[in-house]
Amino acid sequence: MKRIRLDRWASQLQPPRNPRLHLHQQRCPFSNETRPSPRREFQQRNYQVQHQWQCQRRHAASRRKASSAVAAQVEDVADEAPIQPQSEPQEQQQRPLNAPSHRRALKSAKLSALHARLSLPSKLPLQTLARCLIDPSVDSRHGYNNEPLALLGQELLGYYTSEWLLCRYPRLPVPVLFAAQYAYVGSQTLGAMRSEWGVETVAAPGPEVDPGLLQLKRVLPGNAMVEGEMMRVKDMPQARRLGSGRRNEQWNYRRGMSSRIVYDDQFGDLQTGLSTEDRPPFPGAPISTTDGNTYPLEGVDQEPNSQPGSFLPREHSERDVESTVEAASASFVRALAGALYLHAGSAVTKTFHKDHVLSRHLPLHTLFNFTHPTRDLSRLCAREGFEPPVARLISETGRLSRTPVFVVGVFSGEDKLGEGAGSSLNEGRVRAAAAALRSWYLYSPPESEIVLPSEVEGGGADKKAWKPQMVDIGEIVT
Amino acid sequence: MPSKTSSSARILVDLLRPTPRRPTCDCIHNRYLNRKVPRQARHVSTAAPQQSEMEVDSDRSPRWAITPAGMKAPVRTRPERPNIKINTDQRKLDDVYVNFLGKDGHKLLSEETKWLAVTSKSFDHGRRGFNDRLAFFGLLSVSDSAYFLKSGDQDPHDRKPFRHPAIEAVECLSGGAHDYFTHHKTISNLATQYGLPEVVRWHPRFPDRLDASGADLVYSQAVFAIIGALALEQGGAVANRIAKERVLIPMGMKRNWKPKVEAPESSPTTSS
Repeated sequence: MKRIRLDRWASQLQPPRNPRLHLHQQRCPFSNETRPSPRREFQQRNYQVQHQWQCQRRHAASRRKASSAVAAQVEDVADEAPIQPQSEPQEQQQRPLNAPSHRRALKSAKLSALHARLSLPSKLPLQTLARCLIDPSVDSRHGYNNEPLALLGQELLGYYTSEWLLCRYPRLPVPVLFAAQYAYVGSQTLGAMRSEWGVETVAAPGPEVDPGLLQLKRVLPGNAMVEGEMMRVKDMPQARRLGSGRRNEQWNYRRGMSSRIVYDDQFGDLQTGLSTEDRPPFPGAPISTTDGNTYPLEGVDQEPNSQPGSFLPREHSERDVESTVEAASASFVRALAGALYLHAGSAVTKTFHKDHVLSRHLPLHTLFNFTHPTRDLSRLCAREGFEPPVARLISETGRLSRTPVFVVGVFSGEDKLGEGAGSSLNEGRVRAAAAALRSWYLYSPPESEIVLPSEVEGGGADKKAWKPQMVDIGEIVT
Repeated sequence: MPSKTSSSARILVDLLRPTPRRPTCDCIHNRYLNRKVPRQARHVSTAAPQQSEMEVDSDRSPRWAITPAGMKAPVRTRPERPNIKINTDQRKLDDVYVNFLGKDGHKLLSEETKWLAVTSKSFDHGRRGFNDRLAFFGLLSVSDSAYFLKSGDQDPHDRKPFRHPAIEAVECLSGGAHDYFTHHKTISNLATQYGLPEVVRWHPRFPDRLDASGADLVYSQAVFAIIGALALEQGGAVANRIAKERVLIPMGMKRNWKPKVEAPESSPTTSS
């Protein structure tokens, strides 16, 4: 006996298609069934290149999430003249709707599943969560993208992370602090977090795409060929990144650590005004991970999307600044933190931060890089008033063999500051000094003494009793 | 040539040497505390005195006042670089703190931290500490407490996004308001109004041209460092209050604001 095929029945039960249906439709400004309007002239140049790239991408990996409207659009442009006479009503001459309306957020299964999967409070509405998933590159109108939420969330996450780092490791040197901050809340980590949460990106944004996907307009890779030229995008003569105003490329100028705090962003990186420029502090810098393995950043020399034309100042609202997947993912996570703060309060945001950011493992001792540890240790002992450090051999083996091992300890008076093993006496001494410096800089007060400043913020009877935290005078200037 | 026997003998001697009893400090487990304290006893932490029970010699100069003796060469070979006059008066510093933080502002921070917060890295080659870390934290505190309350512009096309009173105010963040309120030039102007340039300890590259030497950077870093020090020593509530009242509102941030949207959209919230 054959199974009842309900899906076949369903298709037979549909009413016949009315060919004049489109004339009866209301022209609602928020309607999602609009045909995408043709691109305007000044977008043509970029669009043709983008179209080429998107076609290549689509052929490479067939994604079923690609909106059919965009596919149709691509075919249209390929066949005919780009500009068609404007037959749509007046409001279509405005910016086309590139992202799903917030009204569709309530009907999206992906969005509700994401909300539940992250155990977000019910105070955070689905519409705001949908807004968090829309990058400014898709929709630059006020109130529709996640940019202001991401700004707020970035500050919040940065603040919570920095207070945790400073209260737990009060002696951390500033370069290590920058690197640790990036490892916890930098864009690479947040991008990894986004994929760990199971949020997928769209192949191309559009109003029909599910609101539960991360919407962004992907930037053109620098290696793509420019349409009509023989050069790559990154080699085009006007491919120049906006400067941050700092004279770093002068031959006798070196951008120091102190000035980065005020001039540059919270990771010590140059601010070029572009959201896509969130680079690691040094090549191969590790990021925090969930499983404790250290993954150094790949792609050391990736030139983040330097390309002509699309890096325009913010005031030019007609051009969308394209974005990378990593930057958009980071914006999404930051926007989510910002939205949580606004809707549900700071306690929930702190819990979110603790659950998702601080739960990740980062081996801080790998972030150090000493050039002259013996000299620095000697300066440190002099500054703190300890006896000058002396290296003594603790044990050794195989001195005359091919693989000797010397265990050297560095002593200040009778206290051993650090110990290191090496295959030569000098190496052992240097390693011991480095170990001593690390143990100084990674000092952590007892758990009972640590009270984070944000724990005594605001009202509430369940505040902890405040204890003043340790303030260290600074690291040794190398 | 030391042979194996002598090294093992040395280890034995080390083990057999009696370790002197030292007073243990049960507040902070730091091995450096337990060593013999010769001539320079000092506070290990700059936090409240009850945290450290060590004796401090009263005739010894405080840490902020002198360069550590071990870091100086006995004879100076190079001529001294010209520098601006650096304040060493505790009272003058306290006056500036009162001016900045309000009544009893000089009591909010410990003495060492007060001096540390206004000391730049260029001062004394960084030997007496500097305010980099405090400024890093203070900048994030100021940004965090700067929840700008201003209504956004009306959408010219009259399209209505999802509005909720909670996120109503966030639109003003996208205009670069955050960058304006933490910009070094504006903060530096504020610092000048509070009188900070007289007490900030730094070494400008050109003592007769302070602006070209980066005075804005140093003054704004001092402001951020004071806020950061407040956060670490007094808690987030005090630091946020000071940041709002003494830094952001004088720069133009609005004090109170009521959202224009009364009720959220009556859409059913998520039900799991």
